[in-house]
Amino acid sequence: MTPGTSFEELQKELDSIVTRLERGDVPVDDAIALFKRGEELYRECASRLQAAELRIEELAPSGDGTGGPEPTP
Amino acid sequence: MKVEPILYGDRKVYTVSAFNRGMSRYLGRIPLVWVEGEVTELRRNDAWATVFLTLRDPATAATLKATIQRRVFDRLELELEEGETVHAQGRAEVWEARGELALRVTTLERLGLGEHLVALERLKRQLAAEGIFAAERKRPLPRVPRAVGILTGADAAARGDVVATIARRFPGTKVVVCETRVQGTGAARKIVAGLAALGAHPEVDVVVATRGGGSFEDLLPWSDEAVVRAFAASRVPVVSAVGHEQDTPLCDLAADVRAATPTAAGALVVPDREELRAALERSRERLGSAVHARFARSDDQLARLHARLREAPTLLLERRRAALDRTGARLQALSPLATLGRGYAIVRVRGEALREPTGVVSGDRVDIQLAAGGLGARVEEVRP
Repeated sequence: MTPGTSFEELQKELDSIVTRLERGDVPVDDAIALFKRGEELYRECASRLQAAELRIEELAPSGDGTGGPEPTP
Repeated sequence: MKVEPILYGDRKVYTVSAFNRGMSRYLGRIPLVWVEGEVTELRRNDAWATVFLTLRDPATAATLKATIQRRVFDRLELELEEGETVHAQGRAEVWEARGELALRVTTLERLGLGEHLVALERLKRQLAAEGIFAAERKRPLPRVPRAVGILTGADAAARGDVVATIARRFPGTKVVVCETRVQGTGAARKIVAGLAALGAHPEVDVVVATRGGGSFEDLLPWSDEAVVRAFAASRVPVVSAVGHEQDTPLCDLAADVRAATPTAAGALVVPDREELRAALERSRERLGSAVHARFARSDDQLARLHARLREAPTLLLERRRAALDRTGARLQALSPLATLGRGYAIVRVRGEALREPTGVVSGDRVDIQLAAGGLGARVEEVRP
């Protein structure tokens, strides 16, 4: 699960796994694999909701817009 | 001074100075024209007879040098600042010393409210025709952005509202704030630069551009063509929360979503974390019960299979027995003994069953088999 994957993508995959399992036409071996993947997705989503603090970063743009962003800690 | 060529035989040749002067005179015959532009590089000095300025086209960044007599300029009492838009009336001239084209301004007017409105309406129509405001260009906002960019003024209450709303709904959010001028000279360029900086940030998935209410002039930079285009061209979706509800700066039309207030903008860019959590828990419960149901179904199938497996040998035996019985019955039907039962008899001579009397003579001994028991007899007469 790459850190670049968005929460929506993870949640969407979880939903599609649940839907497939609920349809019930999945072979048992696949069902086990899907369940494991679903649990993994659930844990990742839940952990992403854990962070408690709002973090603020101030950005100082260059005046003419030609330069890149300058993040300040 | 006259513009006279030097003659080299029959070739007329002009000096640079004469050429410039000649061009200037030629251009000077064009009637007075009005030129609209943004004032940049305004240089006025009490010691100079002329005020120098540059007019800039905000759409294309094209520039035009301009001059106006200081006496005339001072009498207008415009108190012009750089960045303001003016209408300048004048004539083209070529500066003899450098061959540069300039506008010799005879009168200068700051763009009034009426002109601003006309210009805005024209810009709006032009951008609409280009499809900048088209609904199909609007992008959906990410549900859970990695970071929210906020483009706002230095001390804006609007900024506080957006941040507070985000903190309440989704406390773990990362917010990237870019402060910009939100009104007055140079604001448009700063807004464009700020939007670009936020768009270039690797984590920012959505930007809220916000400022509080203000006068018509205060909000003008948010209708600047470059700003409106920057909103539309932004790498990430932009939520516009500029001015009060009744204001509609053109950036509102180019933004992906328009929010009525900074608080509403904050609510648009992050989901409610508790709702999200509840949805996630529901998904997990469904995951668990779906997989259980799947296994329960397999268990049932397995149990049924097992039962059938156990009954299989008995079934097989019964089937075989039935088949055997049927064969026995058929065999029975074919047996000669069954024929004897109906009153027929088998006659044998020397062990051979007789079908005709050939080879049998009177006095031969025959065996007669009946359905039950038999007889030993002698032949008395042979009838061929």
